Amino acid sequence: MSGPIARLEHLTYWYPNAASPALRDVTLEIEPGLTLVAGGSGGGKSTLLRVFDGLVPQFHGGRISGSAIVAGLDAFRTPIPRLARHAGLVFQDVETQSVYGTVEREIAFGLENAGMARPEMHDRVDEALHLLGIEKLRVRRLATLSGGERQRVQLAAVLALRPQLVALDEPTSQLDREGADAVLAACLSLATRGRSVLLAEHRLEQVLPAADRLLLMENGSALGPGPVRELAARLASPPPLLELAIRAGWMPLPLTVEEAANSVSRDLNLSHPAARSVPRGTGDEPAWEARDLTVGPAADPVLEGFSFAAAQGEVVAIVGANGSGKTTLLRTLAGLLPPLSGTVQRHGGRAGYVPQNPASMLHLPTLRAEVELTVRRLGVTTAAEAGTDTADGVLADFGLADLAGRYPRDLSSGERQRGAIAATLAGRPDFALLDEPTRGMDLAARRSLGAYIRRFSARPSSVVIATHDIDLAAEVADRVVLLKDGRAVDLGPPEVAFAAGSEWVTQIGRLFPGGPVTVGGALSALDRDIARGRR
Amino acid sequence: MSETTSADRATGLARRAWIVWSLAAVVAALSTDNPVYRGLVTLAALDVLLTWLPRGRSLRRLGAAVAFSALFAVLVNVVVSHTGADVLFRIPDAIPVFGGPVTVESVAFGVTVGLGLTAALVAVAPLSLILESHDIVDALPRPLERTGIALATAMNLVSGFGRTFASVRDAQRMRGWRPRGIRSWNEVMVPVVLTAIEDSVLLAEAMESRGFGAGPRTSFASHRWRLWDVAVCATSVVAATLFIVLRFAGAPVDWYPYPTLALPEVNPILVAACLALALPAFAPPAPQVREPVR
Repeated sequence: MSGPIARLEHLTYWYPNAASPALRDVTLEIEPGLTLVAGGSGGGKSTLLRVFDGLVPQFHGGRISGSAIVAGLDAFRTPIPRLARHAGLVFQDVETQSVYGTVEREIAFGLENAGMARPEMHDRVDEALHLLGIEKLRVRRLATLSGGERQRVQLAAVLALRPQLVALDEPTSQLDREGADAVLAACLSLATRGRSVLLAEHRLEQVLPAADRLLLMENGSALGPGPVRELAARLASPPPLLELAIRAGWMPLPLTVEEAANSVSRDLNLSHPAARSVPRGTGDEPAWEARDLTVGPAADPVLEGFSFAAAQGEVVAIVGANGSGKTTLLRTLAGLLPPLSGTVQRHGGRAGYVPQNPASMLHLPTLRAEVELTVRRLGVTTAAEAGTDTADGVLADFGLADLAGRYPRDLSSGERQRGAIAATLAGRPDFALLDEPTRGMDLAARRSLGAYIRRFSARPSSVVIATHDIDLAAEVADRVVLLKDGRAVDLGPPEVAFAAGSEWVTQIGRLFPGGPVTVGGALSALDRDIARGRR
Repeated sequence: MSETTSADRATGLARRAWIVWSLAAVVAALSTDNPVYRGLVTLAALDVLLTWLPRGRSLRRLGAAVAFSALFAVLVNVVVSHTGADVLFRIPDAIPVFGGPVTVESVAFGVTVGLGLTAALVAVAPLSLILESHDIVDALPRPLERTGIALATAMNLVSGFGRTFASVRDAQRMRGWRPRGIRSWNEVMVPVVLTAIEDSVLLAEAMESRGFGAGPRTSFASHRWRLWDVAVCATSVVAATLFIVLRFAGAPVDWYPYPTLALPEVNPILVAACLALALPAFAPPAPQVREPVR
């Protein structure tokens, strides 16, 4: 196949009742291969992807101008069922996109809607399962699958209609590492087989090197699609390796650890990175201590014999696959769940637990009102107690000052998530527990959350984070605990936990074996090296 | 995590045959007051359910529903009905409605009502424990198909609803919320409902993007009936009909324990009808209707 599969010209789009357009004068062409769509939350990625299969504007309404041609069809007017045979869309959340209870029926749903004859339907289902290498899942019930498996089933369901263009809207944002890897690998293999794959994604480090083109969406405007290396330099929030390369001035911009290794001098002295070698904790008394803790449902404990003590101001990161007991442990530490056996002791103060998807609790007319509710409830007399710590001050800490007067549910998912965390931590707990706090957040939001956690812990308050986001853990944690097979393993400080040779190595850790694991650590190591060279 | 697969899910009967059997058993159980018949229908239905229950499917919720409704039936009857000759003890008359004698007969009648509810619950259990929601959709007549899919899909959101509820309750507790009276639950229920509405819109969008809602549909599954399906339907319908016909013919179908407890009369034809409802337990597994994988 040759030529673009889709072409947008001067496309501008307003959601109903929106004050400003979600897409601004977008002109672009989509060709076969993998096009990576990057940019911050609220930049227009999701809206753009919905143009190709007609959901924008046909499902969402609103005003649109310009033109969108997909497989030769006018995407504004061609009925969605007809467009679905040419352009498919995989959504973020597996729960809210499955129709049936079993895998093969789920995959056949689109084919049934197309009125396809049964023998062909069976062939198409086989083909889609085969394309993704998930034949074994054919007769499974969706409820028994992992997130990564379910997301691949949804991709198969889209592929069964044999569209030339497949768009995926942050398909890995709700998955653990293993699941995300499998879904991204599936996207890559589709793209190499000549399909147009349009992937909107926050985890860029893995897909950037494999992408054929990069498309940047910021504030509704599109830049690209164009050469990855060229546009990657213009990412507002580059992933760690790129950020390091940009800040260290490495040219040409490396996209992989192997490429970056060429820019690192061989005799670089990496022994003992300076990053947080002194524990920030103070005092002899532990801030919290778990003794021989067993947690989970009575019949089936998920974690046994957990003993751990953390100092005041210490940030502990808990990593491990889905189902390893992270959430159960956090809820037990927060006092929301009684332990099956063992004890949790806390050195005074109040605990604050932020569950997964905290944004679902938001219901007041403004973000400011949400923060004020917590402050009022918990009797924190903010202004008097902490000067700047008013509702707006709390929101400013999370980079949300401009959004204080907005209705929380109208915000992008990353903004909502930060708003909900701000609303919970506004109670100024002495012991904060965060469950997957960066889920669905873009890099910029992750960074401001990381900075906030470090300031918060310096009060000093103890923090426990359960996360798949090892870059966040590497940035903020003092100690890392791995949950695996019902046991907890203390992996030590992030410099050890995420170093080369570990299962959980960060990109930076791979680049500097035995050295730093974060951008900050790497930059200071490089600075020291340069200083040493001058001497 | 359970590894239930529909490969283990050889269901024995065609979907519509399951529905016919289920309805017939409910009709049989509820068209008589006789505890013998109700007990037999329960046993027959339980035999069928246990024969075809897929691996990994739990009976816990069914058990809880049965225990709750049976207990409730007995209790209500005992405290409300005060007739009967054999008095066990008295509830003080000072208590309005409930005050009065508690009799052996009222306990017996409560047990009969409980048995009827148990039989009905066990008889409909296969529709949710053995069949998948799409099986029910497939069994619906054409004009109801789309509505059926929409309903079945909505059911997928129920588990998410439960999780949202738990998560919102936790989150609000951590912000100082405490359950105090009905109104305090607004802070949990309002966000849960808002989230459910958002989820439904997302689901509608996903269904629309896969072409749902226009033009003629086809179905992935084929409905091949075997002799067993016909046999089960025929016997179930005959069994249910017998109860109704015999009642109109004046045969003693019911049992009434008041004023003094007596053994229920038993009609051998109706006993046979109850036992015939166990027929699906003897059906051989239906072969998987699939083209060979190429």
